[in-house]
Amino acid sequence: MSRTIDVLTAGLETSVQELPGRIGFWEQGFPPSGPMDIWSFRQANLLVGNAPDTAALECQFVGPELRFSAPALVAVTGADMTPMVDGVPVESWTTLALEAGQTLTLGPALKGARAYVGVSGGIDIPPVLGSRATFHMAGVGGVEGHAIKAGQQLPLGQAAAGPRPGTRVAPEARPRIDGGREWTIEVVPGPNDDWLDEAGRARFLGADWKLTAKSNRTGFRLQGPAWSFSPLATDKRPEHGSDPSNILDHGYPFGAVNLAGQTPIILVNDGPSTGGFINPYTVITAAFWKLGQSRPGDIYRFRAVTVGEAQDLRRALDARCTTASLQPG
Amino acid sequence: MIYDEPVFKPGGDRNLLVYLGDEMSFDLNFLVQTYAARIREAALPGLVELIPELASLLVSYDPDRLGYDDLIRELAGIRRGIGRLEGLELPSRLFNVPVLYFDPWTAACVDDYRAKLAEKEPDPDYLVRLNGLADRRQLVRVHSGTEYWVAALGFWPGLGSFLPLDPRCRLTAPKYNPPRTWTPKGTVGMGGSITCIYPDETPGGYQIFAISPMPIWDPAQRLAAFRDSLALFRPGDRVRFVPIDREEHDYITARVEDGSYLHPEVGYQRFSIDAYHAWLDTLDPTKRF
Repeated sequence: MSRTIDVLTAGLETSVQELPGRIGFWEQGFPPSGPMDIWSFRQANLLVGNAPDTAALECQFVGPELRFSAPALVAVTGADMTPMVDGVPVESWTTLALEAGQTLTLGPALKGARAYVGVSGGIDIPPVLGSRATFHMAGVGGVEGHAIKAGQQLPLGQAAAGPRPGTRVAPEARPRIDGGREWTIEVVPGPNDDWLDEAGRARFLGADWKLTAKSNRTGFRLQGPAWSFSPLATDKRPEHGSDPSNILDHGYPFGAVNLAGQTPIILVNDGPSTGGFINPYTVITAAFWKLGQSRPGDIYRFRAVTVGEAQDLRRALDARCTTASLQPG
Repeated sequence: MIYDEPVFKPGGDRNLLVYLGDEMSFDLNFLVQTYAARIREAALPGLVELIPELASLLVSYDPDRLGYDDLIRELAGIRRGIGRLEGLELPSRLFNVPVLYFDPWTAACVDDYRAKLAEKEPDPDYLVRLNGLADRRQLVRVHSGTEYWVAALGFWPGLGSFLPLDPRCRLTAPKYNPPRTWTPKGTVGMGGSITCIYPDETPGGYQIFAISPMPIWDPAQRLAAFRDSLALFRPGDRVRFVPIDREEHDYITARVEDGSYLHPEVGYQRFSIDAYHAWLDTLDPTKRF
């Protein structure tokens, strides 16, 4: 009999995600998608014996209720959604052995915003354009293109031998999701930092930026002080557009701090590939998990790093996402 | 202007922006597409994705296989290898796109916008007035009188930016302010001097005045044209709008619905920039159709 999960309730917007995401179709306008917090996501997979990039569930703000048709190793990481099995609280960041017929329930996120549910064998839906990652705005990937819904059955893949139940991620190897509302987000200046004047650049790096509720897997909208511009923005060829933040359509890097008028929006996993606004700064790969775990009203402070520093930080993050971070319970 | 050397700017730890100039022109975009083709041919290990745009490219790379400085050195070398525009050629497919001008669906969409968001002149009349045209019939003649160059794809899957190749058919239009909250699937719109087809029902900001029943992207890959790709167009393709009447529109819609529709496409052409420039020299750009 095939192993499946029955979706009893879906949560707020729970989707299948996979790494590295949908790669190779950006030119046609398809974003990479994939999990926002790659740190928690990969550790959820490691805890159930999967390769770290295997398809798993991303639960946003309110988690789902899932019944397992067959025995499976399961792990919940990321935001604290007070997981329960058959109504009994269980540990996050820990390998759980579920029996056939048992139900895993996640509640609202008490700390952080996104929890990840790894299941031995992974979620075995057919890949679309090379990936199982969900890009729900365009109905591509995932389960029928969208977030999961109550009544659906999610097929599970062949499970390999996993860690012993009770195995956990060493506390010092986990991302720090402790309910703190202030985050330091590392950015690389560019590609268009030279379109700001010196005061504008100093203000971006010196100010508190508040994450607004108008934020989703497409973009994170921020509130903060006014922007000011250099002559590149104010004295330019007319085809760039009339606003200082307008530029001839160009590619938008993953993590771009995209400035539309005076409103900065960080473009994240399901964001647009191109457009006509400047991107003065870019959030680095190693800081994405902090975006994924922050909540509306949280405060961001940005710290400039070099390309080389950003790449070293990403390597350090990758090093946390191996079985070396697991310890017996 | 077109820069002598590309301007390289980092986009975080695994993306690079490469600006080749700062104007909206066919010549600059032709250079961008040539550059993209040469970069692909070079098959640099560790280069992941390439998005050519109007005047620039976005390159994503794997820093564990390809260092930032090495990538810039390689890309600068490839640009030097292209040199000047003269003599360049690119393969370019031509798509004939059936279009119903002044259709009821885009008209209803504009009416909905005027009722709910902001009063404005109906888009076709606005375009006629702004571009000094005689009437709506001349708008159709001018808009459908040229091939368009697919300069870029992006923002939404399958959404293309089309530049008119015949300077006598250049039209301009400001964008909506505030933008529309919805646009019918298949709508033909114009913003700045760029024309587009909306691949799906999405928000939008271009002036709208026509609709095409021919799908340009299909996530279900149901029709034959989408067997190898979800999106119909690639940068460097060309598009010609073919005016059709309501009866033809409904016929095509029925063929699309039953899955038997075949996309009209010419796939064996090469675009020579020298031949294009020679043709431009024969035109009087002050004349309209």
